[in-house]
Amino acid sequence: MSEFDAIVIGAGPAGASAAIRLASSKKNVLLVEKSDPPGSKNVSGGVLWGNGLSTIIPDWEKSAPVERFVDTKSVAFLTQDSKIAIDFSSRKLQQKKTGYTVLRAKLDQWLARKAKEAGAMVINGVTVEKLHMENGKVTGVEQGGDVITSDAVILCEGANPRVAIDSGLHKRLSDNDVALGVKEVFHLPENTINERFHLKSGAGFACEYVLGYLQNGVEAGGFLYTNKDSISVGIVVSMSHLRENNSTHSYDLIESFTSHPYIAPLLEGGDMQEYSAHIVQEGGIGSMPKLYGNGYMIAGDSAGFSFSNGLVLQGMNYAIDSGILAADTFIAASDGKDYSENSLKSYQDRLEASYVMKDMRTFKGIENVTWSPFVHKKIPAMLESLMLNLFMEEGKPKRHMTGMLLDAMSENDMLKTSSIMEAYRMMRRM
Amino acid sequence: MKIEDRLSVLNYKTDKSYAHITIKPDICETCPDHFCTFACPANCYTLIEGKLNFKYEDCVECGTCDLACAHGSVTWTNTKGAHGIKYKFG
Repeated sequence: MSEFDAIVIGAGPAGASAAIRLASSKKNVLLVEKSDPPGSKNVSGGVLWGNGLSTIIPDWEKSAPVERFVDTKSVAFLTQDSKIAIDFSSRKLQQKKTGYTVLRAKLDQWLARKAKEAGAMVINGVTVEKLHMENGKVTGVEQGGDVITSDAVILCEGANPRVAIDSGLHKRLSDNDVALGVKEVFHLPENTINERFHLKSGAGFACEYVLGYLQNGVEAGGFLYTNKDSISVGIVVSMSHLRENNSTHSYDLIESFTSHPYIAPLLEGGDMQEYSAHIVQEGGIGSMPKLYGNGYMIAGDSAGFSFSNGLVLQGMNYAIDSGILAADTFIAASDGKDYSENSLKSYQDRLEASYVMKDMRTFKGIENVTWSPFVHKKIPAMLESLMLNLFMEEGKPKRHMTGMLLDAMSENDMLKTSSIMEAYRMMRRM
Repeated sequence: MKIEDRLSVLNYKTDKSYAHITIKPDICETCPDHFCTFACPANCYTLIEGKLNFKYEDCVECGTCDLACAHGSVTWTNTKGAHGIKYKFG
């Protein structure tokens, strides 16, 4: 007889969601979290798309510690001297609020409290060292020689899944599986943020940047999100490019972003209150572990459920949905008390039927686009010369738009067949 | 802002009895690239007179060094019992 029906490792969005669903179905569930309070070791860029959350916590927007709803979403290319941005605001985003900026130390603590309220036992400040195995089946967790038993374990350890790796359920991570995210949080008064970003109270701005100007060919993306009275700003750098470069410090890259002439004024006067970093899952479907086995399932970032095509970044929503689906699989399996691999494989079926795995399949290979020199160097440079031709009046005859575009492309060596193929592949994958 | 100043705003509960990351100095001595010194966002790996110096106390637990070191020097484990970095915002 197990002490718990299920044990969930990790109280992030995946783990807390799984625990909430299980506890709401009267399962005896233990949620173990290494940080105390929950969330105090977690880092995220910061937009939560919360459709899935409403299935376990209706009206979550009313009580969750969200910062601002996203009503202006931008994508921008930065070169040394210029910013080329697509800035999207819509009354439709205002009416149907789906994306909220969040700070994880606050959000995760709230989610863990919701799990407790639903009836889960939540233990903070305890690091699971390894899985307890009996006859090839996961039957609990171990810490400091103590064993806590359960019928199944759901691993939701985040982007750096140590227990899964050490137990042989996940391969060691490599350069192609992850990128490095480095972030800073600047405090600014709420009114200053509203004025600076042209926002009404409660509304927020979120932007992803392609940083086409970084030294020595390092490829990195930037992000900037407005919170209530702070700004989250940071970079995500490709591990393999950082390694190839091997002369630029990761912490200098964020500095070159925050000091860019079109970023620095947004942060001006802000008090830097936190510096943070974490690896980010980037490998998509190619980096995914086997998601289930005898007595276990893997959800959230640990399972590789995160995705970016440079325009949209998602992860917390997949974490929530996969955590719920893992819980549903456990609940279904508990009817026949069968937690074998054969029984838990329906987790994969549930994921395949949901948008989680559909997105992973749709955007297979997207990392080849997001980390290509074509996107990071050629497109920003080409757009910059096109815009300069369009908008800089120099008392010279102007060409038609097509001519300017062709000039800009030719300046940046983009007229060759290989470039056209690259653009085609990029469009298809995005 | 210097990396030291940025790290100085952070809260840690340092575990003096347990270094959650350890290195093997003999491997670092013959390392051809010392990529850890560029990859680590918390400047835990530095070269002092050509010798690798590592301190776990400033670690923000990002997980980077574990895969950055391609030579098998780094052993990475989770911090124990609520020790290590404590973010206010995350």
